[in-house]
Amino acid sequence: MKKALLQTLVMWVLMSATAMAQSITVKGKVTDESGAPVPSATIQVKKSGTAVATDPQGNFSISAAPGNVLVISAVGFEGREVAVTGAAMNVSLNSDTKALSEVVVTGFGGSQIRRELTGNIARVKAKDIENVPLPSVDQALQGKAAGVFVNAQSGKLGQSVTVRVRGNSSISASSQPLYVLDGVPITANDQSSYGGDMNPLTDLNPNDIESIEVLKDASAGAIYGARAANGVVLITTKRGKAGKTNVSFNVQTGYAEATKRLDMLNSEQYAELILEGAAYRDKLDGTPITDPNSWTAYVKNDVMDYYSYGEWSKNPKQSYDWQDVVFQRGPYRQADMQIRGGSDKTKFFSSFQHLEQTGTMIGNKLQRTTGRLNIDQKANDWLDLGVSLALSRTWNRRLPDDNAFSNPLQAIALMPMTPFNDPTTGLPAGTPPGDVNIPLYYNPVLTVNYARFTQDVYRTFGNAFAQAKLMKGLNFRTEFGLDYLSQNEEGYFRSETVRNQTRASRGVGNNSGTFITNFNTQSYLSYQYNSKLHNINATAGIQYQESQAKYNSTEGTDFPSNSYTKIASAATKSGGSSSQSDFRFLSYFARANYTLMDNYILALSARIDESSRFGKNSRSGFFPAVSAGWIISNEKFMRTMPVVSFLKLRASWGQVGNAEIGNFPQLGLFTGDAGYAGNAGQRPSQLANPDLSWETTEQLDAGIDFGLFNNRVTGEIDYYVKKTSGLLLNVNIPATTGFLSQVRNVGKLENSGYEFVLNTQNLVGKFKWSTNVNLALNKGKVTDIQGQIIEGGVSTMNRVEEGYNVGVFFTPEFAGVDPANGNALFYKNTKKTDGSRDRTTTSVYSEAQRVVVGDPNPDLIYGFTNNFSYKGIDLSVFFNGVSGNQNNIYGMGRYSSASMLYEDNNTADQLRRWRKAGDVTDIPQVRLYRVNGSQASSRYIVDGSYMRLRNVTLGYTFSNDLLRKAKMEKLRVYVSAQNLATFTKYPYWDPEVNADSFDSNIAKGNDFYTPPQPRTFLVGINVNL
Amino acid sequence: MKIKNIAFGKYLTAILATGILTVGCSKRLDIGPYQSIAENAALNTEGDVLVTLIGAYDGLQNAAGWGGEIMVLNDLIGNSTNINFTGTFAGLNDAYNGLMVSNNTFATSTWNAAYSCINRANNVLSAIDKVTSSPAKKSSVEGEALFIRASMYFELVRLYAKPVGDGDATQNPGVPMVLTPTRGVTDADYRARASVKAVYDQVIADLTKAESLLPSSNGFYANKWAAAAMLARVQLQNRNFTEAGAAANRVITGSGRTLNPDFTKLWFTFINNAGSTPSEYLFAVKVTAQDGTNSINTYFGRTISGMPGTAGRSDCKIKTAHIAQYEAGDKRNYFVLSGGSYYSMKHLDRFGDVPVIRLAEMYLTRAEANVRNNTSVGAAPLADVNMIRARAGLAPLTAVTLAAVTKERALELAFEGHCLPDAKRLQTPVGTFAWNDPKLIMPIPQREMDVNKKLVQNTGY
Repeated sequence: MKKALLQTLVMWVLMSATAMAQSITVKGKVTDESGAPVPSATIQVKKSGTAVATDPQGNFSISAAPGNVLVISAVGFEGREVAVTGAAMNVSLNSDTKALSEVVVTGFGGSQIRRELTGNIARVKAKDIENVPLPSVDQALQGKAAGVFVNAQSGKLGQSVTVRVRGNSSISASSQPLYVLDGVPITANDQSSYGGDMNPLTDLNPNDIESIEVLKDASAGAIYGARAANGVVLITTKRGKAGKTNVSFNVQTGYAEATKRLDMLNSEQYAELILEGAAYRDKLDGTPITDPNSWTAYVKNDVMDYYSYGEWSKNPKQSYDWQDVVFQRGPYRQADMQIRGGSDKTKFFSSFQHLEQTGTMIGNKLQRTTGRLNIDQKANDWLDLGVSLALSRTWNRRLPDDNAFSNPLQAIALMPMTPFNDPTTGLPAGTPPGDVNIPLYYNPVLTVNYARFTQDVYRTFGNAFAQAKLMKGLNFRTEFGLDYLSQNEEGYFRSETVRNQTRASRGVGNNSGTFITNFNTQSYLSYQYNSKLHNINATAGIQYQESQAKYNSTEGTDFPSNSYTKIASAATKSGGSSSQSDFRFLSYFARANYTLMDNYILALSARIDESSRFGKNSRSGFFPAVSAGWIISNEKFMRTMPVVSFLKLRASWGQVGNAEIGNFPQLGLFTGDAGYAGNAGQRPSQLANPDLSWETTEQLDAGIDFGLFNNRVTGEIDYYVKKTSGLLLNVNIPATTGFLSQVRNVGKLENSGYEFVLNTQNLVGKFKWSTNVNLALNKGKVTDIQGQIIEGGVSTMNRVEEGYNVGVFFTPEFAGVDPANGNALFYKNTKKTDGSRDRTTTSVYSEAQRVVVGDPNPDLIYGFTNNFSYKGIDLSVFFNGVSGNQNNIYGMGRYSSASMLYEDNNTADQLRRWRKAGDVTDIPQVRLYRVNGSQASSRYIVDGSYMRLRNVTLGYTFSNDLLRKAKMEKLRVYVSAQNLATFTKYPYWDPEVNADSFDSNIAKGNDFYTPPQPRTFLVGINVNL
Repeated sequence: MKIKNIAFGKYLTAILATGILTVGCSKRLDIGPYQSIAENAALNTEGDVLVTLIGAYDGLQNAAGWGGEIMVLNDLIGNSTNINFTGTFAGLNDAYNGLMVSNNTFATSTWNAAYSCINRANNVLSAIDKVTSSPAKKSSVEGEALFIRASMYFELVRLYAKPVGDGDATQNPGVPMVLTPTRGVTDADYRARASVKAVYDQVIADLTKAESLLPSSNGFYANKWAAAAMLARVQLQNRNFTEAGAAANRVITGSGRTLNPDFTKLWFTFINNAGSTPSEYLFAVKVTAQDGTNSINTYFGRTISGMPGTAGRSDCKIKTAHIAQYEAGDKRNYFVLSGGSYYSMKHLDRFGDVPVIRLAEMYLTRAEANVRNNTSVGAAPLADVNMIRARAGLAPLTAVTLAAVTKERALELAFEGHCLPDAKRLQTPVGTFAWNDPKLIMPIPQREMDVNKKLVQNTGY
């Protein structure tokens, strides 16, 4: 030990002495394959801190000694090491073929060159994330990481996003991946008390991110043990670089609008249908349609005339498309500044961003301001220190949840004859002093005009570390991290909104606070040993996480006037609450990678997790993994195949867990929330289960990594099988016990699939063209739920059925319309004794059995990007898509595509309804207030496949003398469009949908007047000084 | 020497850092929830039992229970004669049209709410020995829990099983009966339906005991007269008219309550009476700004311009055919015309009490029992009916028939949740349905059928 240290010291002294004695000034130029200069390349003297960067013409000048090695690196190029041979040196760099030489982050300080990776890790780089108009980083994974399914759910700003890594591996526990930011597991689940789920990842500036790694297989994930079953997303922020300080400004501006509008009935068409339905009812009742008590008279007088302020009978052609009122064009503005630089001792990265985004629905607005400073300090030759600190404020004026009359998009239910404004007052329909019972339903414009609900989140992401070199190859690192989320939500609903907020007759205000502290410490030893034959990398350590969530809220009613909006002025303090929930994890982990002769790789990892969430009888879990790789292309026999420049076989096996089972599901509890009429009360609230533990996922992965034609073509092919057992199920029990369910680890499911990644450099040289394709097929199957009925979603149509994917649509099968009488028909689908199903039809809905008629989970997800560049022009075209999934439109369909069952406006396709005997159509006869085919059925389960032109960006980078005179290094202008085109057969607004009011693990693919994704157009300018 | 010191310093730092971070971590995993307590710490003292009893009232107050949906369902199922239902809750629309299916959301939520409430009452009864401060207190707590449990079983058997009088009540399936609290789930918890008669027997036994245990006065909680009145209602439905009349008579003579001279003062309890319950109410569910939802208001109510505090979905429009039944000057012709339709004014008040039993019902029950038995227990039936008519501002009748009593009852108690059970007792049609049509019986919820294979579904589902 002592000897080794001595040697090190002596070597240091000798080396620096040599350097000092013989250094000369080396000048040169760095160019690419075509001879074009490479600006901002870093030139570093190996084993010394000296580093410089090239100027815009690619020139550099550095002090070094002959025999020293210069390390040249530049973004987008393969690094190169060149020995100093003289005072003048020109260096040519090859474009980076990326995939194989990139360094992949593996967690707990680990990193690996992709070439040597034996686990499966997808990586998304800064370039893919930067300046794309995405509010949160999780959306950046969409179409970019093979096997990662992302559904943005809604066009509302700052809403939560569904992310599934290799399928849905849970039923009741969370299926979202674990998010780890610079080593700290962060709060990523919803914290809102109004509207749909919000997304705490919105607080993170995507432009701060260097890379996102998704740990997909068990080998990669096992180091995160009981928390890795849904995949782990490692987010690494940018850090400083030695060399010239780079100052970069980026400003982009544009606007967003909804991707689609629906074709609804106009006034004449509406009248035609509803009168037809009324006439049917009158005939049924034997009432002449001229009778003042007839349905027809009701519809004419009390419906169409009443709700049009008497205008319908005067001008039946006058029509209003309420989508005109609720959709809007929303401006988008974003400004960024990033400063990055440092010396060999101190390196820093700092950033500032301000974003202002207005929603495509009225009343929705988001602003975010973030700042970050990351500093790394080399204290001395054995101690490194660093700190990261990011502060952000996200302000969001939120929309109500989808299943609220105040959801702006529910305005499509309003009658087309209802004018936007009350003719007697000129104010929006339904505004007092006008008739508040017009329109048919609450006018959502009133909530936009007379109420607001804002969410103000202050977030601190902090992390500090110290790393000590204990001896050669052995390092000790300790980290302390914090994620603090402080959220204030404030709503005020003026008396004008009373029809929707029934308690707002004299105003209702609420104010709530959420404070979540995630405190994380981790310490680990890492060891590295390299020799010609053997390379060993090992890490072992301990992690402790403590999360505390505190909530409080107050509500007041009866305000002196609408001028007073704070609860201080409320005569009645109508509500108030405070609560807290904590969880803790204590974990031990170890990992070792061994490489023999650069050809054979073996990796082992394991973790022990203990948690406050597990029952008394199962407090601690052990999660092992093993993986191996064989780089065949390094073998002698492969040298005869020069086309194959790289070939590796790899396989992994491991067990990981899912501990996102909520806090304290294992305890038998009484809860004190059962007060009555001012007196406190308690109730039995949960049945105990002391055996409760994590869900276990065992995963096997086999893959091939390859490179062809000198790695101009690289790719990965993977096959995996994930078997999850001990699924935590809210096991349904008879309600006669007083409980509906008990939480037990009983279920099993599996996912298996293939993933393909292909990266090609189609054209190199002056005109560059590269393509990245990723494609994943996943098949999920629930294998055992012990007979539990697990349902959810709109009209509980989503269900967990053995033999099918999680959350399939389970409902009677629509069989069209009886041409004889206009009755809706359903297949009976009764099981016959031979196991087949009775395919005869019935018009009696209750005679039709429910069957699996669709699946909200896609079979295939894909993304492909083409990048082109020529001289200063760059163009990127990115598509992504999903296929094989269905959506449920019953949320709107039961009212708006329902043969005018109610007074709601209907979609224009309802004009195809059955009218007379012999009509062959798929829309049943109109029967006002008599259900005919608008029951839940496969009629409302539709294809949800889509392919979307997700992003197109065209840029031009100036590079001339003018810039130099202006002291600018780089100037780029660009235009980009997000969601420019969507190719789909989906009949409602947006196939990429998931109604927030119903969202759960099993309730996916539901649409409930859910706002569509925005189509965003931007122009931007990027300046580097 | 110096080098050694540096090395030592590094190791010391590493060891200290690890030590600081890990000391005591394991113990830190023993944490519990803040808003809940362990079940074995929940029922150990008299105070614990008393707050659990409040929890049982909270169970009654559930929107799907006596918060109002039970009453709404009893008024809405098949009732096309009096109501034009225009709401968009499919479960209620189906109930109204006699088109319920087994996963009707209202059938499910009412079932679940009732049994959750029953489990709470069972918890109180299981720990009744912990109430030791006075025998009177213990009696009262036990009586209240029995009243709550019996009331919910009565509502269940009325909604989910064949009425008494339709076939053999000892054979017709009623609902499963659970009389002990649940702490875990075993095979015994998968129960079959007890017979209609067995459920009625249990309900009658519980209410009889409750009547004997409860004090005459108990604030807005259940008292002796609430239990007796509920017993009168149960016995009337059970077609035991003698017992029904006797129980009603005990309430009328013993409670000291009188009819409120002004019919219109019985409503708007929050808007007009600052939340105080009219003394004519023998039992009501309290709804306050803090707590509870008046579900009758939700579906029958409407926001009326110029009447602050009114609210509702305007789903139940009252047909003019119903309104035509009131004689001229009848104060119970208590409807408001708004937006072209009539709405009952009984339930406009968002925070108003949910009325469960009023004294007026006892007069009508006693009258019906006396007419049917040709007796005059307590008073002559003509006197009882005329007392109700007089309060409504109507001239007295000179003779009374069963039809006269039941007509008075239909108008007096309109839209208070009596339509369906009264039709089943009187064996008169409900809208276009015969009194014993299976479509007038709610389905055992599909969820319950799926979970418990011992259950038999009702006819037609």
